[in-house]
Amino acid sequence: MEAVLARIDDRFIHGQVVVGWCRRLDPDRLLLCNDAIAADPWQCSVYASSVPPRYRVDILSREATAALWRDDRGTDRTLLLTGSPADMLWLVQAGVALAEVNVGGMHAAAGKAELLPGVYADAADRRALADLLAAGVVLFAQSVPGAPRHPLTRDLLQEATT
Amino acid sequence: MVHGLVITHGDLGREMLRVVELVMGPVPGLTALSNDGASLPELSERIGSVAAAAEEGLLVFTDDFGGSCTTAARLALRGRQARLLTGVNLAMLLEFAAWRDELPLAELSGRLVNTGREAISEVVPTPGDTG
Repeated sequence: MEAVLARIDDRFIHGQVVVGWCRRLDPDRLLLCNDAIAADPWQCSVYASSVPPRYRVDILSREATAALWRDDRGTDRTLLLTGSPADMLWLVQAGVALAEVNVGGMHAAAGKAELLPGVYADAADRRALADLLAAGVVLFAQSVPGAPRHPLTRDLLQEATT
Repeated sequence: MVHGLVITHGDLGREMLRVVELVMGPVPGLTALSNDGASLPELSERIGSVAAAAEEGLLVFTDDFGGSCTTAARLALRGRQARLLTGVNLAMLLEFAAWRDELPLAELSGRLVNTGREAISEVVPTPGDTG
C-alpha cells in the first residue's frame, strides 16, 4: 500500500478531498481512519455514499488501519484520512510509514487558535503535530491541489505555544 | 408549517433566501447556514438545533451531494422528522415558499424534487436567437 496523500481533515470525505485531491491524484482507494465512525455501520454508509463509485472506500479503526498497512502487500495508491493530528500520530507510532502529512481541514472550534491560514489547533493538536515532526514526518498545510502550500514547522508550533 | 433550511458553501444559501424574499416577501421559518470555517460536528450541531425547533418537520436543502453540508445534515437529521434534498436551486425554494402551508413534509419534498428538475432546461435556439 502506498499513501499518495495522508491528510488530516475533520470533515473527512468532502468536496476538497473528492473533487480536489482525488481528481488530481486519482487514488485507487480512500481509507478513512476513525474509531467512532468505523464502529457505526450507519455512519460508515453516510461517508461511503459521498464518494464516487470509481474509488474504493474503506472505513477502519486505527488498529485495523495499522494492521492493513502492515500486512497488505498490494500496490493500491491510497488516500489516507484522519480527523485529527492525534490519530495520524497514533498511526505513525504504530508503524504506518508516512513521508509527509497534509494538514488539510482543521476548522475553528472553542479553544483552538489559528496556526496557519484556515488551520486551527489546540494544545493537544499542537503536541501531536510536534510529535509527528519529531518522528521525521514533513507537515504542510494546503486545502486543495491548486492552493498555496504552507510548511508547518517546529518554529511555528513553538510560536503558537508561547 | 414545515420549516426550511438551506445549507451551502459560502454565502450561496443566504443570497438565495434574499432573492426568494424579493419575489415572495418574508418567508418565516426559512433560514440558511454556511459551512464556512465550520467543523463537521459544529455544523451538525447547528443543523440539529434548527431541526429541534421545527415542530411540523424540516426540509433541508444542500448545494451538492457528497459535500460536508450534506454529510453534516445526514448526521444531524438521524431519527428526526426531516427530509434532505441536494442540488438546491431557486425554483425549489420559490415552490417551498408557495406550498409549505398546504402540504405535509413528505409530499412537499417530492413536489420540490420535480420542481427543481423541471427548472433545468436548455432554451432551444430559434432562428431569431442566432441573429
